[in-house]
This record gives sequence, structure tokens and C-alpha cells, in this order.
Amino acid sequence: MDTSQNKNRPANPCIHAKNLVLGYAIGKQAVPVASGISFELYNGELTCLMGPNGIGKSTLLKAIMNQNPPINGDIWFGEKMGSQMNESDRARNIAVVLTEKIRSGLMTVRELVALGRTPHTGLWGHLSAADNAFVNQVLEMTHLDVIAEKKLSQLSDGQRQTAMIARAMAQDSRIMILDEPTAHLDLTNRFEIMYLLKKLAKDADKAILVVTHDLEVAMETAAQLWIMANQEPLVSGSPEDLMLEGHIQKLLPGNKWEIDARNGKIRLKNPRVLPEIAGPEHLTYWVKNALRKNIEMPLPEKLAVTENPFKITFCKNHEHFAFSRTSELVRFLKK
Amino acid sequence: MSHRLKFTCSLILVLVLWLLNISLGSISIPIGSLLERLAGVPFPRDSWEIIVMDYRIPKSITAILAGIALSVSGLQMQTFFRNPLAGPFVLGISSGAGLGVALLAMAGTAFGWQLFAGTASYWSVILASSAGAIGVLVLMGLAAWKVKDSMTLLIVGLMFGSAASAIVTLLSFFSADEELKMFTLWSMGNLGNTGWSELGLLSGAILIGLTLVIFSVKSYNAMLLGEAYAKSMGINFQKLRWIMIVSTGILTGGITAFCGPIAFIGISVPHLARLLFKTNEHRILFPATAILGVLILLACDTLAQLPGYASSLPINAVTTAFGAPLIIWLIMKRNFSEAF
Repeated sequence: MDTSQNKNRPANPCIHAKNLVLGYAIGKQAVPVASGISFELYNGELTCLMGPNGIGKSTLLKAIMNQNPPINGDIWFGEKMGSQMNESDRARNIAVVLTEKIRSGLMTVRELVALGRTPHTGLWGHLSAADNAFVNQVLEMTHLDVIAEKKLSQLSDGQRQTAMIARAMAQDSRIMILDEPTAHLDLTNRFEIMYLLKKLAKDADKAILVVTHDLEVAMETAAQLWIMANQEPLVSGSPEDLMLEGHIQKLLPGNKWEIDARNGKIRLKNPRVLPEIAGPEHLTYWVKNALRKNIEMPLPEKLAVTENPFKITFCKNHEHFAFSRTSELVRFLKK
Repeated sequence: MSHRLKFTCSLILVLVLWLLNISLGSISIPIGSLLERLAGVPFPRDSWEIIVMDYRIPKSITAILAGIALSVSGLQMQTFFRNPLAGPFVLGISSGAGLGVALLAMAGTAFGWQLFAGTASYWSVILASSAGAIGVLVLMGLAAWKVKDSMTLLIVGLMFGSAASAIVTLLSFFSADEELKMFTLWSMGNLGNTGWSELGLLSGAILIGLTLVIFSVKSYNAMLLGEAYAKSMGINFQKLRWIMIVSTGILTGGITAFCGPIAFIGISVPHLARLLFKTNEHRILFPATAILGVLILLACDTLAQLPGYASSLPINAVTTAFGAPLIIWLIMKRNFSEAF
């Protein structure tokens, strides 16, 4: 691991584990799902866990939450072993946002966030003045204070997810674990949520672990990536390092897909070479995109793109062709 | 309207209904005389003293206890299983109790035994129904030990109930008319069988059941987000599950033993409480459910007494016939599934 990166980090990870074997017990037999899992999770950092479906990401989360303890190996929370913590101890250490949809429509945002104080309140769950102040602080941090009295049934999906994150914040744990928090959100909300998490990790010095399939957003926001792929041990590092070292490409097994090393976008692998396109890069990018999508059609050898007015031109058999839209070019080439 | 105002209104309504409940019946006793009796002036007729003190007041207290117990355990079940169709009888308690009573009443002809000479006595019915309910609860306990998933537990409870009902059907098929009528009457529910001595026992049991519920109100609030979130917030889920089974057993089992299976209240009143109080907070919802349960059952019992007639209607028919349209109207009017 890069040593210069470690300088900015706290000396000790808040969770660490070495060579875990994860899996399920079916009857009396242990069925391993993933092995050789080692990791360190640090305070103040947003970490994204990525990997294909069925690789054992959820099993890893359940192991950290002690709902499905590892078959072999121990998870350490600082000096404490995970399997030896009791429920309330664990609740003060880990807060979660899960994929399951909650359906208590009458609950207000404030009531939901206040439920996060559960591990800190007494027998009756009564909120003290300090608890209320904390809830208010969380509502402000997540910009939910303006809709604090709204019922959950009146919220949009993005607001609802933010409220679930605020509830986890109110639990005041050192660690927050989120399982696909952006799964059913639109583009802006996906970024909003991840930037919010990044900010919370930094401002509240939390260790935040997010399971996501959203490579683009993860590359943009995560301080650390954990990659689980192809039954290999878990690989961790900064997104940029993992991209340069070729680990992110492992997320796409087989020959069909590839990752554009320049922007981290996923695309179909090209069986053919694209023609050379002259012109400003922000324009040629989209012309290439249009050609790549229709790679089976006959392509000219050279193209040129000009700006103001937008024009695509090429020469074929001493004849000049010009188009003002990419769709026109594609339609022409398909003929 | 604030919660305090709603509670005050409900409480006043309960008091009015309670007075009406005592005053109305085959013999009408003016409310004025009732209030005077309360102040120490004796009734103008001696028979009134007997009717009110030995029959109507115990019956109204039974209605109050049943209203509280059934609706509170209904709310408990709906939150625990996160299922709007759950009610106090989903663990098979009423079917178990029914099986107990059916065995007592009808096994004689069916198996050729002679358990009792003549008709079954009041206490033997209570014992039989308790035994049946406890039997089903023990089976549920064993199931709860084995399965960890709450949805599975719900289905197992329903299956136990169906199995018990099947045996009851078989027994009724082979039983004599007299015995069948006795069982049918029991299954219609009756609030009027409990005297002062039984009331002491019943209210003690219900106090224990309610205490268990009151001390887990925080866990029930956490359960609103589902089992996984509740666990992540440090709620001891296994403990809550046992509390739920034991307290429902005591509350519902107790009422069923003394009054028979009282239908409808347990499922509907929690929904009514959510619609009227517009909250999911259990510190409000448990008392709201209890007071509305009392309100509905007292109102139904007053209707069942049929003022001016000598006989009274079976309570189950009244709760369902008058309560169901009310609930249907409320559910159609407001968005009920969002409220859940």
C-alpha cells in the first residue's frame, strides 16, 4: 500500500480483519462464499465496496454487523472483537441503512431521525434535551430541517433515503454501513447522496462503508475502494490507484465489456477500430459514441468535426459529405 | 386537534357510554338514579340493586377489560409482524381455546366418553379453553425456538389455527344437537358470564400482560422500521419475541377463556387508532388503542342489550355487524395503507 497516503490517516483503523472466511451454515455444514478477506476501515473516509452480484458483499456486511459471523477469522473493532460485543455495544458502534423499504407512512422525518437515538435512550425511549439537540443538529447537517415535520409518505425517494441516512447519523456510531443507498435514485440524487456521505465522513469523522454498483459515482466520491471479484482476495486502495493498477477492470469479467481508462465509464468492447476523428475533443467524444453504438455499419476511414456551426464531414470516393447531426450521419452510414 | 384533546374526548365518551351501558337493557334504569346511587342514595327498587351490582357493572367491566386486552394485543401483533392483517388470534389462540371447549362439550358423543354428567359447568369451560390456548401457545413456543424468521412464525400460527378448527369441525359433525348448541353459543362470545370473583382473576392477568407490553414500548417503536433495523439499533429481538408471545397469550388467552373468542376488535381498533391519532408512535398508540377498544366494545355491548327486549344479541354478531361498516368507511375515506 502507498505509504504517503497513510500519513493523512488516523494511526489505527476502526475496523480491521485478516483472512476471513465468509459463508453460511446450511444444516451443520459450513458453505464458504468468500475467503481471504482482509480489510481496514478508517475514520473520516468514505469507502465503497464493489463487486458483482453473488460475490459475497452482503455476506461481508452481515459479518461486520454480526448477523452472520464469519466461518473463520475475527473482525476487530479497535481493541474489541466483534463476536464479543453485545447488542447495545454494537448499536453504538455501527449504524446501518439497508435496502429494505420501510412502510410507516405516518412517521414524520423528525420521528424517524429520533428513532436513531434508540441505543442511547432509557427504558421508555424518552428523548432528553441533549438527544433532541443532537437530532436537530443531524437534521440541519442533512438539510432535512425544512421538511422535518413532513410524513414519510409525502417524501420523494431521494428525501426518504436522506432521512434514512440522517437516522443512521443520529445513532452517533463511529461506523456507518450503507447497502446500495443510491440504487433506485435518479442521477442528481445519486451524486447528492454520495457527496452527503463524503461530507459526513469528513465532518463527523465517521468511517462510512457503502456497497454500490455505481462505479461512476464511486470513482468521483470514494476515498477508498474495496473490490471483490472472481473469488480473489478483497483488494483495497484509492480508486485512482486501483484503476491504474488494473483492478477495477476485474469488475467486468469476460470479453464483452471494458472500462474506458480515461473516464471510468463502462462500454461495449470494440471488435473494430474506430476511425480517426479530427476536431475539438468535447465534440469528437460524442461522435465516437454514436459510431461505437453502431459499430457493425460500414465506417469511413477519416472524419472531421467542426464547431460553430456544428458539422461532421468526411470524404469517400472523392465525394464530400457533411452532416449537422450525429443521427443523420448514422442514418446515412447505415444505408 | 392535539393528542391530549383527543384522549380527553375519548375518555368523556367512554364515561357516557359506560353510564348508558349500565342504564340500558331489558329493564331500563334511569341515569339519574344511577348517579344518586353513586352518591349513596339507595335505588327505589331492590331488584335494581341486584341487576346493577351483580350483573351490569361486572359485565361492563368485562367489556372494558376485553376492549383493552384484545386491541392492545392486536396492535402488538401488527407492529411485530409488520402486517396490517395480523390480530390477536394469529398465533392460533382462539382456535386452541375453541378446540379445548369443543373437546369438553362434544367429545362425549364423538368418542363415546362421558367426561361430565349433564352440561359442562362454567369453570370447566374456562379451564378447557385455557388448556387449549396454552397448548397452542406451547406449540408456537416450540416453533419460535426452531424458526428465526417472523413471517414463518406467522404462517405456522395460522396453520395451527386451521388444524385446530378442522378437529373442531370433525367433533361438531359427530356431536349431539344439545352439545353443538352449547359450543356454538360459546363461540359467539359472551361478556355477561363473569362475576366479581372471576373479574379479580381476569384483571390480574390483564395487568400482567399489559405490564409486559408497557415495558417494551421502545422496542415496538424500533420495530416500525422492521426486524433488521430494530436489531441494528440494539433491540434484543429474541427477547421481544418471547414477550410478544407471552403477553398476547395472557391478554388474549385470558379474555377468550372468560368471554369466548371476541371477533373483530383486535384487528380493527389499532387501524382506527392510527387513523384518528395520525401517528405511529407507540407511546401514544398503545393508550389510544386501549381507549378506543373500550369505546367500541362498550358501544357494541350497549347495542347488544337491545333496550326494551328481554334477551340480548351475541356480542360477536354486534361487533362485526356494527363495527365493520364503520371501519370500512374510515378505511375508504382515508389512505389506510399509508397510515400503517
